[in-house]
Amino acid sequence: MPLLETRDVTVRFGGNTAVDGVGIGVEAGRITGLIGPNGAGKTTLFNTVTGLQRPAAGRVLLDGADITRLAPARRARLGLARTFQRLELFLSLSVRDNVRVAGDVLRATGRKVDVEKETDRVLARTGLEDIADLEVSAIPTGRARVVEVARALMTEPRVLLLDEPASGQTERETEAFAGLLTGLAAEGLAICLVEHDLPLVMRLCTTIHVLDHGRLIASGTPKEIQESPEVVAAYIGSEEVTG
Amino acid sequence: MTTFLTFTILGLVLGAVYAIAASGLVLTYTTSGIFNFAHGAQAMLGTFLYWQFTYGWGWPAWLSLIVVVGVAGPAMGALLHTLIMKGLRETADVTKIVVTVAILLGMVYLSQWIWHPEDARIMEMFFGAGAKIEFGGVVVRVHELICLVVAVAVAIGLRLLFTRTRVGVVMRGAVDDPDLLRLGGHDPDRIAMLSWAMGSTLAVLAGILVTPIGGGALEANQLTLLVIDAFAAAMFGRLRSIPRTFAGAMVLGMAATYVMAFFPTEWTWTGNLRVSLPMIILFVVLIVLPQDRLRVAAVRTRERYRPPTPRSAAVWGVALVAAVFLLALLMDDGSITTFALGMTFAIIALSLTLLTGYAGEINLAPLSFGAVGTIIAFHFGVTGSGLASRLTLWGVLLAVLVTAVVGGLVALPALRLRGLYLALATMAFGVFLSNMVLRDTVEHTVFGVTFSIFPNGTLIVPPLRVGPLDLRDPRTFLMTATVLFALIAVGLAALRAGGYGRRLAAMKDSPAATAMLGQNLVKLKFGVFMLSAAIAGLGGVLMASAGGSVAGDNFSIMASLALVMLTVVGGIGYISGALFGGLMAGVGFTIMVATFNDLAVVHPSMETIYKTIGQLLVVATALIGMGVGENPSGNVHKIVEGYRTLRGAKGLLAGAAAVEAVLYVLALTGVVGNWWFAILTVCLAMALPVAGRMRAEAPVRATPLELAGLDEPYTDELRERLDRELGLPVRERTAGKEASVHAAA
Repeated sequence: MPLLETRDVTVRFGGNTAVDGVGIGVEAGRITGLIGPNGAGKTTLFNTVTGLQRPAAGRVLLDGADITRLAPARRARLGLARTFQRLELFLSLSVRDNVRVAGDVLRATGRKVDVEKETDRVLARTGLEDIADLEVSAIPTGRARVVEVARALMTEPRVLLLDEPASGQTERETEAFAGLLTGLAAEGLAICLVEHDLPLVMRLCTTIHVLDHGRLIASGTPKEIQESPEVVAAYIGSEEVTG
Repeated sequence: MTTFLTFTILGLVLGAVYAIAASGLVLTYTTSGIFNFAHGAQAMLGTFLYWQFTYGWGWPAWLSLIVVVGVAGPAMGALLHTLIMKGLRETADVTKIVVTVAILLGMVYLSQWIWHPEDARIMEMFFGAGAKIEFGGVVVRVHELICLVVAVAVAIGLRLLFTRTRVGVVMRGAVDDPDLLRLGGHDPDRIAMLSWAMGSTLAVLAGILVTPIGGGALEANQLTLLVIDAFAAAMFGRLRSIPRTFAGAMVLGMAATYVMAFFPTEWTWTGNLRVSLPMIILFVVLIVLPQDRLRVAAVRTRERYRPPTPRSAAVWGVALVAAVFLLALLMDDGSITTFALGMTFAIIALSLTLLTGYAGEINLAPLSFGAVGTIIAFHFGVTGSGLASRLTLWGVLLAVLVTAVVGGLVALPALRLRGLYLALATMAFGVFLSNMVLRDTVEHTVFGVTFSIFPNGTLIVPPLRVGPLDLRDPRTFLMTATVLFALIAVGLAALRAGGYGRRLAAMKDSPAATAMLGQNLVKLKFGVFMLSAAIAGLGGVLMASAGGSVAGDNFSIMASLALVMLTVVGGIGYISGALFGGLMAGVGFTIMVATFNDLAVVHPSMETIYKTIGQLLVVATALIGMGVGENPSGNVHKIVEGYRTLRGAKGLLAGAAAVEAVLYVLALTGVVGNWWFAILTVCLAMALPVAGRMRAEAPVRATPLELAGLDEPYTDELRERLDRELGLPVRERTAGKEASVHAAA
């Protein structure tokens, strides 16, 4: 059974249906891809899963429990963590404090954590030690995305939702990042990856879901997806396949 | 039945005026995203202008109307937009609110300068109060009919504008996405300017219509606040829907007249209730508003604050206490009492540093929380009588505790909503408190207990005495207040540096991301608001006892707004900003005006000039407040940045310290007067950063990126900046050779 699941989720903005009856699953210990052209509804689906957007219909299940009506903070405490497509870093805090504050929140909610030690561990794991004391406004986008991942990891999540984490990264950074994700999945974390770097998605993911105009048009292994005529049509019809 | 009908019509008339004012407010808010706190002040200024033309210069009413409503109103709105509002894109909510608050204060100060507040001014109804029509036993004045007709015309006009005209349709979408508008070939600035012009005109119209209804007396503060009642009407429409705003206005108008008509007149608070009703309704509407959705993609604001470490805060705290001690040696008892009063205001301002500077939430009525503390301390914290009466420590603690609880209750309904709504809730509370509680001077008997909340309009609050600490001595009072300020300041710095402070900063920067870490935002806001209210309560009790007694007016919403504005002008993220704001709002203002008035008395030949300078200074502070949009981090920040160039210039600093020490000794021994000492000290403080800049090597000029590679050769640093701007990945540091090649080319 998938750890995180959406069932027939529909989101409307006015008369516009941004997500239309989408059901996907994200399994523990695996990296699940979520791809599709711009405007396909990927970020909207993430917002619905994390509680920033209320669905018009459908349910969101975490570990079998219905979380559709829970507040974002409650979902986060149940083990849901995410990064943002448009960076949402805390600009008045340093890189270290951006990560550390997630630990502060954990501790304030009653969990026993050694915030300092855990911050150091996460910074080392994500390779951010060299820029830990810089202001986040001073670091390049590619690395800022890693800071968001580090901050999310600090919440001790069970499910990690990544919204275009590799955009703005150099090839070398992406390489290291891919290694990090594989490692995290191997430790049992459920990862859902929205990404435009298709080769990266094909390489990392065991299952891929494809959205187009708010509808789920295909789900399957990377090989199945690459061979799906609908997927090819959707991509050629709207934009070039990256890479 | 006739009474009921008469009052219903009166209610509709009042509602009509509220509707006109509120629709202007909604119009500017929907198109520019700025909630205009100065709306009432614009109405006030326009109405004074109308009074001047019609009653001052005897113009015919129609001509004054054309000039004021047709020209001055729109011009005022367009000017405000062009000069100020346009520059407020990408600033925090706090900055936007403070700028419009500064405009409000500036307009009130300006009007009091031009039209002396002690002269009585009366405006009569159109066609006179005698012109009336009677049908079915109900008498309606022509003026009242005009109000109704104008409101209907405005409603129809706006309806047509929004549904039938291209510009109106565009207006509805202007705030949501200015870029999209630009793509569609529209100029969002022009559309915003148009809406500001219209909003301002509607405000002026409402002001002219409402003044004769309310008795005809024209008074700046009162009229400004009267139109603020329209805020409640705008709230019915969630600041978006004009039809709902109209409906809200009617409810408001009728509720107000029914209270007057059907509440027993022997209830002494009926009149007060009628005045504060709009604010009570605003509060109720806030409670029932649905929760805001958390927005992703927080605005990248321009405000930047560097929080001090607790250690450096402690060092500065000790320095402050020492400096105040030395300064006090130069002063007589009267000046020391004034100084102490200013210091208590600075403590109240610290509540804003915590709430607004650290947590990004707004309280527009900090003095009202001070008033709550004062009332509690007065009723439960004073023992003894006459000269032996004193404030007990328990009384002060109780006052602080109760203020915290009241603060929590006030904030609770607004916490689910955006910062603007909290600002409105606190303002509603402030106005409510001024009208209902601080004017409650008569005795009530409830369950056999006879009491009066604010007896005789003045509370005598004796100073605190605990063991050997006796605050009746002004010097002891000043030093105690200063030490308390320093202690709270260091406490705040420690708070900001810890996990709690980091969570506050995170919430301020991105509420959505903070919620995604598992933080319950309402809980966090609730706690910080209570803490902030507690600080304001403590400051309020001290403020009341510094002067020995306080009147209700000392806690007026205008005084609160001035304190908020001056603290933001100083730098809301800085403790020194609170010191500046508190001292200025508490006593600086009064001292400046008094000094120039004294000079005017001493030199009769220069009287006009001195008096003008005094008034100008007051208006100028509001102008600085409006400038916050340009410099949102505050002026302390600017000065601190200036002093940064002095880092390492030990000689220069030591020299300056020596000069200052000599000045002080001269002042202490009476060789130079205190004024000269103050002026020279300020000159020295201003000159230092300039000297530092001159001493520093040639200034590093940042190349505009468009010119990179043209005027300036590519350097590593330039490349990195380019990459950063473009969001490209970091380059490996191998470009040294390459750069020199470019330079050669």
